[in-house]
Amino acid sequence: MSGPNEDNNTQLSSHIFGDLLDSIIVDVASECHRIAKLGLDRNLEEEEEEMRLSAQARARVADPSNSSETNTKYVVDIFGQTHPSVATEIFECMNCGRSIAAGRFAPHLEKCMGKVIPISSYHISICLYLSIMIDSYYDREFCAIP
Amino acid sequence: MSHSHKLVIKRSSMSRPPPPPPTTNKDQQHQNPSLQEINIKLIQSGEKERLKELLRERLLECGWIDEMKALCRKKGRNNVTVDDLVHVISPKGRASVPNSMKAELLQRIRAFLASTAD
Repeated sequence: MSGPNEDNNTQLSSHIFGDLLDSIIVDVASECHRIAKLGLDRNLEEEEEEMRLSAQARARVADPSNSSETNTKYVVDIFGQTHPSVATEIFECMNCGRSIAAGRFAPHLEKCMGKVIPISSYHISICLYLSIMIDSYYDREFCAIP
Repeated sequence: MSHSHKLVIKRSSMSRPPPPPPTTNKDQQHQNPSLQEINIKLIQSGEKERLKELLRERLLECGWIDEMKALCRKKGRNNVTVDDLVHVISPKGRASVPNSMKAELLQRIRAFLASTAD
């Protein structure tokens, strides 16, 4: 029933909880360190604005009462399907991990990676390559043993 | 630079702020082996990861993570190490976990302990 076993369990639980919390604290500190060292927080407000616009874009397309406006920009493809003017598929930015609507991806990447990038599969490969390079730079500069 | 680029493994094995002082429980001798066993069971069953994700999600929802990030940003950019940031946010971080959240996690951990009791 009660007694030393219960006390033990309570202490164990607290210790385990503390471990989990400490682990999350380290994760947060690591992420902030990375952002600070790579200078990704320079445009933090712009990124938040970006997310707001992204959400707005998705809402605009999803709202049926908007369909008469957006339909003027719809193109019918060879299968007779229409596509919304703002692409609504959500992607995870390979650089910062944020979820971005496809139609907002180019402006987001512009800020996220600090350069203008027209979207094509060739350029997406370059972004991926750059993102990997940035990560390994971070690893080398800030995580290696001296 | 003399100070620390001393991370070997990024996510664990960090030097952390000292743990809370040990209790005066006379059964303390028996705790350490069983804590290790429990940890192994937690990890092998995947429950540790689930618990961590649950805690992280709750902390995100209530804005705790944003508060911690704001504290980190205040520290500035120059010459900060991950260690520095951990030291900056640990006291406030540990103290500002809502009690209800802590209770929820403790409840789940205790349930796990009960389920693995022989």
